Amino acid sequence: MTYNCLTTGDQSELSLRQVTSEELLSTRPMNKTAMSSAWHQSRRGRGHRHKEQGRVTRERVEEQRAEDSVPHGTCMTMCPAYELRQREAQNRLHRFEMVADTERDRLPRADVSRAVKEYSRPAAGKDSTRASDLRPPSVLLKTACHLVDDIAASSTFQPWAEVYSFVFDRLRSVRQDMIIQRVSGPDCVAVLEKSVRFLLYASYRLCGQQLQYFDPRINDTHLQECLSWLLESYRDGKHQHQEEFQALSLLYNLGSTEAIQHVLELPERIRSSPAVRLALAVSRAHMERNPVRLLRLAQRLDFIQVCAVHRHLLPCRTDLLLLYSHGHSSRNCRYPLQRLARLLFLKDTLAAELCQVYGVNVTGEWVNFSKSSFTDAVSGELQCRSMHEPLDDEQWNCSAGSVIHGCA
Amino acid sequence: MLQLSSPEEKCQQLLEPPYDEMVAAHLRCTFAVSNHDFVEAYKCQTVVVQSFLKAFQAHKEENWALPIMFAATLDLRIFANNAEQQLQSKGKGKVGDMLEKAAEQLMSCFRVCASDNRAGIDDSKKWGMLFLINQLFKIYFKINKLHLCKPLIRAIDSSNLKDDYSTAQRVTYKYYVGRKAMFDSDFKQAEEYLAFSFTHCHRSCQRNKRLILIYLLPVKMLLGHMPTHQLLKKYDLMQFADVTKAVSEGNLLLLNEALVKHETFFIRCGIFLILEKLKIITYRNLFKKVYHLLKTHQLPLDAFLVALKMMKVEDVDIDEVQCILANLIYMGHIKGYISHQHQKLVVSKQNPFPPLSSVS
Repeated sequence: MTYNCLTTGDQSELSLRQVTSEELLSTRPMNKTAMSSAWHQSRRGRGHRHKEQGRVTRERVEEQRAEDSVPHGTCMTMCPAYELRQREAQNRLHRFEMVADTERDRLPRADVSRAVKEYSRPAAGKDSTRASDLRPPSVLLKTACHLVDDIAASSTFQPWAEVYSFVFDRLRSVRQDMIIQRVSGPDCVAVLEKSVRFLLYASYRLCGQQLQYFDPRINDTHLQECLSWLLESYRDGKHQHQEEFQALSLLYNLGSTEAIQHVLELPERIRSSPAVRLALAVSRAHMERNPVRLLRLAQRLDFIQVCAVHRHLLPCRTDLLLLYSHGHSSRNCRYPLQRLARLLFLKDTLAAELCQVYGVNVTGEWVNFSKSSFTDAVSGELQCRSMHEPLDDEQWNCSAGSVIHGCA
Repeated sequence: MLQLSSPEEKCQQLLEPPYDEMVAAHLRCTFAVSNHDFVEAYKCQTVVVQSFLKAFQAHKEENWALPIMFAATLDLRIFANNAEQQLQSKGKGKVGDMLEKAAEQLMSCFRVCASDNRAGIDDSKKWGMLFLINQLFKIYFKINKLHLCKPLIRAIDSSNLKDDYSTAQRVTYKYYVGRKAMFDSDFKQAEEYLAFSFTHCHRSCQRNKRLILIYLLPVKMLLGHMPTHQLLKKYDLMQFADVTKAVSEGNLLLLNEALVKHETFFIRCGIFLILEKLKIITYRNLFKKVYHLLKTHQLPLDAFLVALKMMKVEDVDIDEVQCILANLIYMGHIKGYISHQHQKLVVSKQNPFPPLSSVS
């Protein structure tokens, strides 16, 4: 059966083409272009399982035809009025959005100065492009500042895992508004920079927490998205903090050839900045498989840079044990534990524990390396967290402000 | 006269579908190209390829249209490239977007060729596979999505035609799989592929031979084979001369200088990171010299430290020396062990520095 189908294959004119029923019904990508892109678009929205799971991604929005006008938000508050009323009435406000002392009421009141638009998954039939629900770039930047500076960096709100959950969600909504309105430029960059700092800090502070409070993989996905968007934005124009974030991206993605190649292709001015030079040196030490050098260089990193690189440090330490297990493998020789601990930049007891987990023999003050006794530990036995600076909540909160504000 | 902006009507009068659409799009494309509008040309070319594919699929047990497919898909990739460049110069468009879409179309063509199981070998569309794969490789390398090459490589490996494609196609194919193997740090395999590509590349294609050599040289050096001065001169690749000299002498200072001096060239070719891997080989060569000088199997660690300092390698201390040595031992470049207590490297009496080609 063939149908006559109005298609817009060529954007300047409509042409009548014959389309077979097979093409209409088939979902194979190779037939996608045989149908109108609009038709295909609507199929995508109707609950079809896609890898992106219905997320509004930059690529999908760009697929919309050129004649669609780009939405421009008009909501001048951090939370659109409609959503605020709805959530207040349905008792779906977050603790941080309530007017003080009404938290325990049957129906807490919303604090307009602190309520923030939630992230909501796009769905068929839901119009996420209503101007009154979208916040313009200036408001988005204000919102991001509020979230990161007033909430995440403050010590008033406990526990921090809850702060993380709230800020994570609301920042996601900010980015969603940016995507829908195709925001670019200095405001976009500022929002992304704040998001990256927040997510990096969280990856360190909440490292090792239970999955229900913090999922490192989800954090990582969002962090990578923000970073790649940010680095893409840096291509146009001059940006004050570019060096810092190029360095952070390289450190976070330590070992990635793509990341290193990207940095090598940056203009000389940025590559020769202190932050990027240090990040490159760390990266080089990693590539040359010189953990002694790497751990030493890591001491020169500032706090946010440590947050970025920390997840690579434990594997680096175990690599040192592996290399030394082979290089110093001898029945009669001994290596001083204290010296090993210094190389690892760990306390003696922690160094001994690390050795034990990886099959390296420790007797008292001495380590005996043997290539046959080293074993690759099952991941999870020794947590990255135990290598962190042991800070309690209070000490964390004091540093949070300065770390996250950073480049205010 | 052939450059019309809307030839659909004329074509529909004269031709059967889908050729009417194909020719119309082709004419619109030539019009766009003459106006240097490559974005439009690309869009038209996608229609050409799509409509061609419909016709091609309908050819049962015949493959006479393969040359058309080659021409159409090649143009598609080229226009995608040009279109992206045009958009980039205006500050629009995300790098790789159009190329990715072109790749999707090429994959559709590929599937049609690969699934041609009915026709006899002379009429099989499978003869189109390698050409398309090479086009796809070019795109994947450009947009840096090398992992997408894997299924294509598997398809060719399992094909019974793989050694019967034209030499030109096979040279191109091996060039790309060789580069991929380099990327995966499989240097032995990379050498095999790139060497094949180099030797079988026609001697008149100097430019291609040079391109292959750019990637073959670092791989060969990692395996311990240094190129001759003659070779480098012949193919205008003197950038490698200092690198070669530095590595074989164990001269870290010269190596660092050479890498910095020709940094831009190496980075652009994407071999800078691989050349950095030569550092470990250079350490090995340097330390081997120390061993030969001291003529003992129990080498004081200090000797290595002195050697490094002579090479102006700053801020290295005895701990780092131990680490570098441990790495060399782990990789099999040195047979021996370090005694921290005696501050010595004790090497095997038999062949303590095995030849580079036998390691890695």
